[in-house]
Amino acid sequence: MALIPNGTDREPMRSEKGSAAAQNSAPAAQGHAPMPYGGPAVDDIRMEEMLLNVGPQHPSTHGVLRLLVRARGETIVEADPVIGYLHRGTEKLAENLQYTQIIPYTDRLDYLASMINNYALCHTVETAIDLEVPERAEHLRVLVMEMQRIASHLLFIGAYLLDLGAMSPFLYAFQERERIVQLFNRICGARLTYNYMRIGGVKYDAPEGWLDDVRDFVPWMKGKLEMYDRLITGNEIFLNRVRGIGVFDTKTALAYGISGVNLRSTGMRWDLRRNRPYSIYDRFEFDIPVGQHGDCFDRYYLHLLEMEQSLRIIEQVLAQMPDGPVLGKVPKIIRVPAGEYYCGVEGARGELGFYIVADGKDKPYRLKIRKPSFVNLQLLPELLRGQSLSNLIAILGAVDIVLGEVDA
Amino acid sequence: MLGFLKGLSVTMGQLPKKKVTLQYPEVMPELPDRFRGVHRFIPDLCIVCNQCARICPTDCITLSGTRDENRKMHIDTFDINFEICILCDLCVEVCPTDAILMSDTFELAVESRDHLKLDMQWLTESEEEYEEKYPDRVPSLDAVLGEDGAEVTE
Repeated sequence: MALIPNGTDREPMRSEKGSAAAQNSAPAAQGHAPMPYGGPAVDDIRMEEMLLNVGPQHPSTHGVLRLLVRARGETIVEADPVIGYLHRGTEKLAENLQYTQIIPYTDRLDYLASMINNYALCHTVETAIDLEVPERAEHLRVLVMEMQRIASHLLFIGAYLLDLGAMSPFLYAFQERERIVQLFNRICGARLTYNYMRIGGVKYDAPEGWLDDVRDFVPWMKGKLEMYDRLITGNEIFLNRVRGIGVFDTKTALAYGISGVNLRSTGMRWDLRRNRPYSIYDRFEFDIPVGQHGDCFDRYYLHLLEMEQSLRIIEQVLAQMPDGPVLGKVPKIIRVPAGEYYCGVEGARGELGFYIVADGKDKPYRLKIRKPSFVNLQLLPELLRGQSLSNLIAILGAVDIVLGEVDA
Repeated sequence: MLGFLKGLSVTMGQLPKKKVTLQYPEVMPELPDRFRGVHRFIPDLCIVCNQCARICPTDCITLSGTRDENRKMHIDTFDINFEICILCDLCVEVCPTDAILMSDTFELAVESRDHLKLDMQWLTESEEEYEEKYPDRVPSLDAVLGEDGAEVTE
């Protein structure tokens, strides 16, 4: 962070004028107690608005987000997110790509939850062309998506705690996430940009022994979640840092179009997996944890609880995993009939939607992505107004944005 | 204070555990069979059907070939512009003869941008290295050399 004085008449930091003013005003005569270190009296400190530049290359902005903060003393008057540093024009690029070719680009939106992005696009196209997906493919998809949700939430918890100054949860979270990433590496050959799903199914069936390794992973991960609970949830320093800050209510959240954990932290039970079931989610039993206060602590804790539910879904998927093909009968060239199609899925950060305007060709006429991070970020200026500067990172971190998705 | 101590006990419990980090580059990571690294290209298998170049989302593959006296296509040039390749694996997926594959080379740093233009010579040398490393993954050429120019219709 760099301190930039606001206004044109810039004064040096050690202002002689200031000290002269202090002398002239004769603080003791006016009845103000002098500061303990002998500086000017409290009333004589000039309160000048500072323009504070946070980012874009700041480790706590989770990528290349820039925040322009107008601060009066320690209090934030206004915070203005400046976005677009990672803009690659995915939506425009997609207009010149066949539907299958767009899939690798979706990997690079929310790069912490690529599997879910893959699915959201494939699901939209499948809905548009009314394509049936084989059972095994659907099960594999749900399996990898829930694992992805765990990986993404783990990274949230690790990175959030790192933002707040705790080093070890970050290292633990990466250790656990590594196991998921390795499993993904085995099934699709990449650690981050999976490109695993195809329209009509998935690219590969699970390799030999993979499902057994996932089966071993589940109880192990359950133990780890308990460990996180012990390590973080009760920690007084952490609690004092996150309780009661960044609070917003359901009405505000809905007005801003907030979704995902951010919405559920306010107490609204809204999860697309349950409210508008897609894929085979209606076959599984799972709870939707909600918060009560809508503060940063609730958002942290919901991530932890959601991982538990994801593990429950994974267990059920593994129990029902059918045999069969993993790719349906897909036409060689996928042409989407003219029309408009939208499908939203519950991403790791909220409602991730793909909106396709098709003109009957093999490429979309227009592709619009409803990016949950982008929508959730809109609330940030509202949340930061009037807050202390030291809460800035705590609030920003809990909103859980991924800049690849915000900027797309 | 209690919660703090509880957390500390987790950290203390971690002390005697084995390290999970890998001493790269002294120890190389074990990569799965499906890993998507730099391309492998086997010119003898290529039938110049151009499918890889057309499916590529970033248009990073350019190739050319000529027809010999037996009306069989032979590859002449095959260039991958690695500056824009996103390692999506779609070219491998569409290749009807498995002439283009993915190796496990993940170290992509080079000293100059020019080194990112992978041509036939580079790919051949890299393939030789790869086959030396994994003798069991040398592709079998019998299937293609036996037939006389079976072309794939699109």
